[in-house]
Amino acid sequence: MTTTVATQGGIGTNAQRPDGALKARGEFAYSSDLWHEDMVWGVTLRSPHPYARITSIDITEALRVPGVQAVLTHEDVPGTNIYGLEHPDQPVLAEDVVRYQGEPVALVAADHPETARRAMKRIEVAYEVLPPVVNTEDAAHGRAEPLHPNGNVVRHVKVRHGPQDVRADVVVTGEYEVGMQDQAFLGPESGLAVPADDGSVDLYIATQWLHADQRQIAVALGLPPEKVRLTLSGVGGAFGGREDLSMQVHACMLALRTGKPVKMVYNREESFYGHVHRHPARMYYEHGATRNGKIVYVKARIYLDGGAYASSTGAVVANAATLGVGPYDVPSVTVDCWGVYTNNPPCGAMRGFGAVQAAFAYESQMDRLADAVGLDPVEVRIRNAMSEGAVMPTGQVVDSPAPVVELLTLVRDKPLPAKGNDLTDMPGGVSNTTHGEGVVRGVGYGVSIKNVGFSDSFDDYSTVRVRLSVIGGQAVASVHTAAVEVGQGLVTVLQQITRTELGVDVVTIEPMDTSIGDAGSTSASRQTYVTGGALRAACAAVRAALFERIGHTDLPLDHDKIVEVLGTDVIDEVVEWRHRPTYRLDPETGQGNAHVQYAFAAHRAVVDVDVELGLVKVVELVCAQDVGKAINPEAVLGQIQGGTAQGLGLAVMEEIQLADGKIRNPSFTDYLIPTVLDMPPMVIDVLERPDPHAPYGLRGVGEPPTISSTPAIVAAIRAATGMALTRVPVRPEHITETS
Amino acid sequence: MKSFAYVSARDVPTAVSAIAGSPNAKFLGGGTNLVDLMRGNIEQPDTIVDITRLPLTGVDLLPDGGVRIGALVRNSHLAAHPLIRSRYPVLSQAILLGASAQLRNMATVGGNLLQRTRCLYFYDTAAACNKRAPGSGCDAIGGFNRNHAILGVSDNCLATHPSDMCVALAMLDATVEVESTRGVRRIPMNEFHVLPGDTPHVETSLAADELVTAVELPSVAVAANSRYRKVRDRASYAFALVSVAAALEVTGTTVTQVRLALGGVSAKPWRATKAEEVLLGAPATEESFRQAAAAELAAATARPGNEFKIGLAERTIVAVLRELVTKGDAA
Repeated sequence: MTTTVATQGGIGTNAQRPDGALKARGEFAYSSDLWHEDMVWGVTLRSPHPYARITSIDITEALRVPGVQAVLTHEDVPGTNIYGLEHPDQPVLAEDVVRYQGEPVALVAADHPETARRAMKRIEVAYEVLPPVVNTEDAAHGRAEPLHPNGNVVRHVKVRHGPQDVRADVVVTGEYEVGMQDQAFLGPESGLAVPADDGSVDLYIATQWLHADQRQIAVALGLPPEKVRLTLSGVGGAFGGREDLSMQVHACMLALRTGKPVKMVYNREESFYGHVHRHPARMYYEHGATRNGKIVYVKARIYLDGGAYASSTGAVVANAATLGVGPYDVPSVTVDCWGVYTNNPPCGAMRGFGAVQAAFAYESQMDRLADAVGLDPVEVRIRNAMSEGAVMPTGQVVDSPAPVVELLTLVRDKPLPAKGNDLTDMPGGVSNTTHGEGVVRGVGYGVSIKNVGFSDSFDDYSTVRVRLSVIGGQAVASVHTAAVEVGQGLVTVLQQITRTELGVDVVTIEPMDTSIGDAGSTSASRQTYVTGGALRAACAAVRAALFERIGHTDLPLDHDKIVEVLGTDVIDEVVEWRHRPTYRLDPETGQGNAHVQYAFAAHRAVVDVDVELGLVKVVELVCAQDVGKAINPEAVLGQIQGGTAQGLGLAVMEEIQLADGKIRNPSFTDYLIPTVLDMPPMVIDVLERPDPHAPYGLRGVGEPPTISSTPAIVAAIRAATGMALTRVPVRPEHITETS
Repeated sequence: MKSFAYVSARDVPTAVSAIAGSPNAKFLGGGTNLVDLMRGNIEQPDTIVDITRLPLTGVDLLPDGGVRIGALVRNSHLAAHPLIRSRYPVLSQAILLGASAQLRNMATVGGNLLQRTRCLYFYDTAAACNKRAPGSGCDAIGGFNRNHAILGVSDNCLATHPSDMCVALAMLDATVEVESTRGVRRIPMNEFHVLPGDTPHVETSLAADELVTAVELPSVAVAANSRYRKVRDRASYAFALVSVAAALEVTGTTVTQVRLALGGVSAKPWRATKAEEVLLGAPATEESFRQAAAAELAAATARPGNEFKIGLAERTIVAVLRELVTKGDAA
């Protein structure tokens, strides 16, 4: 028996975040605060055209600007001028073609950022402008000019489950569209590259995955990975938008060329060009059901616009396809999902990762089905809800709790909010748009399913080192990992797990860097599961080493005992830990145990709609989510609220406006995200149904609430207005039918 | 940002002579719009004349019952001023629905009058824009123009004026006082901003060397029953899709006084004179309101992207008038 004595701040408590007070006071150092003596500033010249051939680049005049240290083009890329998260297809700097507006073409380093920007304007790039490919379906079906050597289809996933071509008494169809959403993290891309005498480089950067960055940078620089060292700098939000490279290679190139530290910081406008976005989607759905509302089949065609480069489009396509019918038992499934190249901005990871788009379509379909068979929207969902033991469209058996019915029941049974009298409770809020006349209330529901962790046979693991020593008479554990904190609270969770496992109060989290093995990405709701799992295993190894010294294992381990046994010794254990393997989807049938864990959330939205002016006030959002085990209950609530708000944004306001491949609203003045006045109070139920395969029984938390809040809000607007509303974001002109 | 010379003026004569000698100079007030535009290389003045020290900060009652507002009065100060809150509630409401508290604390009355458009193409120096670069064309016309104008547009420009405050000023028949080395001039609010026509880069009737020194509001009894409504895509910090400033007096069941102006629909704050004509003397009914709104919007020209604004403007006008009738009854 290897018990530990619980200390303060272990798992299951609302342990305080070490970074919380600093962030609230504005004292936290973000990557944009990085500073180094003698540093110079780097800037990026980007293509103004979505699609063009480059006929020449002349840097002569730029080099003449006093204060300029270097001007670099594709000819200066020391290694291979191609990178990519899953599939290398993107140049570090464009060679003879640019495929999206904002694609990097040249770099300048100068002793002042303004000098660098002025020199950048003197670089002469001659473009032969080409008509951009912007139609996703044309790109999917060979009706557009190929933008890459293997054509425009990045991935086509087919899911064929159960008997095909079956018929049903009730059939509902729909076409749905999701606009391009931005992660809208508040800290723009920034980093500092510091060259070393031996030709190696240190990069301090806000990112989501240090080792994936390191691998790609090393190839582009032509250096062995150990000569490219990364350290995480303060991250101001990520949501998927920092999983791909932005300036990583650029800053290192400039540093190695100038021999000086190089800082790069994007402004807000450049940030819109500097990271991938959520894939816009066009989706065609057909649901067949019995007259009792039991689903007989689902057929779907889903088109995702990957933009100019692949990024993580392949994995997003697999998610949309395999999760494309939602958390329901469906005996016959026929799904085709395409992710394609176009000349739109590249799309990749964003919270919800393919599941968001599909959920808007399948939940809209569930409401249509409810209407068609005369059932309540919750009732039709409950009749079809999956549960533990269900078979997914991939053939995978769900072998842990899937409390979909319970989640739906919880949100349905909450009392409905009273009509508000305060002006700020009205649609249009403080804008005086209405005082209650013409306002109609609606209630809507959404429920979601999301895979946790990396899927589809990816070798998903994390590495953690735990060091236990006695410092000044006190036992101290230090935790070292490359898993990055992006604001979600990982550092807190790591401290809590260590306290619980080792019985020590003082836990130091060392800087996250590449001097230890890979921890995988902070994405896919996976770090508490995977790095948390690795940490638990590392703590177990430390504990075993300790008990070996004691010679027996049947006594409780507490602080004083550790101090007594350890003395001046240090125990140091490194563990690499994997979750259960996943398997590749069959390319013809989409069958296979592709996912390691599923997570579920349900929302109820109550809205007031001013039907005259088309304005929506989301009055209340209720959410129920199963998290397996809440390691930090307050942090869980924070994730649910934040994710729900991001889903609200997609439902009623957030969209990158594109015209012929160009972003028309690259600012927070024109790209609207919800403010505190748009986000209503929430009522949240957190379920803890342990997953027996996961550490502590936990389930990933971050993504599910983003997925189900959007369809719930749109369903509520439909309930209020009786309108079809097949596109998000819903705008006033959609509600008043004037567009 | 382009390099520029900086001059600080201590009084109005110094300010206007400083600008008279520099053809490409700009006055700097709160800087909330100009500095952003300079950062984006949209405005590129050679000289900045800082006028923030000028003594133009009074809000004073005039003998005829009107109010004189100095050009450097901050937006937040004006919105909170008792004279404005009691006599011109519509102006106070309009200001408070614009921008953010931080911007309102910096922005001045004169600067608010001279705000540039929020057209997405105006801000994109790679796009064609007749306002920013005369003769270069207008990418908004065939592009993304959901936020653009429907009244008084030309084939050269679809931009809207972004101000909320100016819509209320237009409704109140304010007068703008301007000064140059040539003397003082008074411009009626409805002639201050001009429609794009063939010269969309010309946005006001202000000469390049003239300084806005004050705005005067006449005594408007009906303004006591006034309202500003702003329809936008989120509850705060967003420009108007459509806004309406209105004041109404109903005697018995007849409209005896009415003033109406629209925002978000034109290159200038749009005084809805056609609607006013229909309403004056008409019964204060839903039907009259609809007819008035339709009469005003009859001349609207929309693109596929902003067609919704016509109906939205009509319904907003009706909703505001309806509310003013109810409110007037209660009072």
